[in-house]
Amino acid sequence: MIEDLSMHLADLIQNSLRAGARSIGISLARLGGSLVLEVSDDGAGIPEDLLPRVTDPFFSTKPGARVGLGLPLLVQTAEETGGECRVERREGGGTRVWARLGWDHPDRPPLGDLPGTLVPLLATHPEVEFTVELSDDRAKWTLSTRELREHLGEVPLAHPDVLRLLERELAEGLAQVGLKEER
Amino acid sequence: MKLEELRKIRERAEADLRLRGGPTRVKIVVGMGTSGIAAGARATLRAILDEVARRNLRDVTVTQTGEKGLAAQEPIVEVHEPERITIYGEVDEALARRIVAEHVVNGRPISERVVAVREVKG
Repeated sequence: MIEDLSMHLADLIQNSLRAGARSIGISLARLGGSLVLEVSDDGAGIPEDLLPRVTDPFFSTKPGARVGLGLPLLVQTAEETGGECRVERREGGGTRVWARLGWDHPDRPPLGDLPGTLVPLLATHPEVEFTVELSDDRAKWTLSTRELREHLGEVPLAHPDVLRLLERELAEGLAQVGLKEER
Repeated sequence: MKLEELRKIRERAEADLRLRGGPTRVKIVVGMGTSGIAAGARATLRAILDEVARRNLRDVTVTQTGEKGLAAQEPIVEVHEPERITIYGEVDEALARRIVAEHVVNGRPISERVVAVREVKG
């Protein structure tokens, strides 16, 4: 099923896209002994009365879907590593999903192939502005697709040279902020 | 981000676009819902982007979408052409590359792997 944290992130991003988001913020931080991940969007948001149910594995807002396993699995994963996961409505619309996991906990899934997961998603949604922020206690690395597009003009992010550059940059970003795993 | 590198990519790509031009002929859509991602849709999307780039197909766009309601057959890939939409199921990396080579480039759908075809009314 969802084997690594980059898959969890991809799943959260899909939820944001499905909610019609035009701006999606993705952040991953290694703070002290914790790994904190967050995806926030300006999409349709979750109605107040449904909020307590979104982490129920037998609940889904998707038409035809019987179960929505993404969020419940993230909650379970976070709690198994001594952390927690919260799903909140954002003021002014949209949703914020925040999870804290124990970095050194043996049950923490690996980060997985973050560049290989995020870059194709970022590149195939020209209508959405993505911001990616990677950080630790000392440093911060950011990427904004809006800024990239300003520099690239008519050239799409899905252009092969851009894809390669983005994957390389993201991998370097992960290494800069201590998010590179030796597993 | 290396701005100098971005500038060079832009110059090269724009020159290339001027040379080849032309509107989009085919759109390829990869289904990447939770079940699609779990079933390997990431590798499928990357393989398609890579194959389109390697073959320098300037009239092909690649995009992706969430759940397609065909969870049992994910990863799903749709090939959108002016007359029809061809839907492939259980597309792994190897099949993704074949779809680009045989269907998109040579116009021969891989019929044994097609899940559904929808005619587009003009």
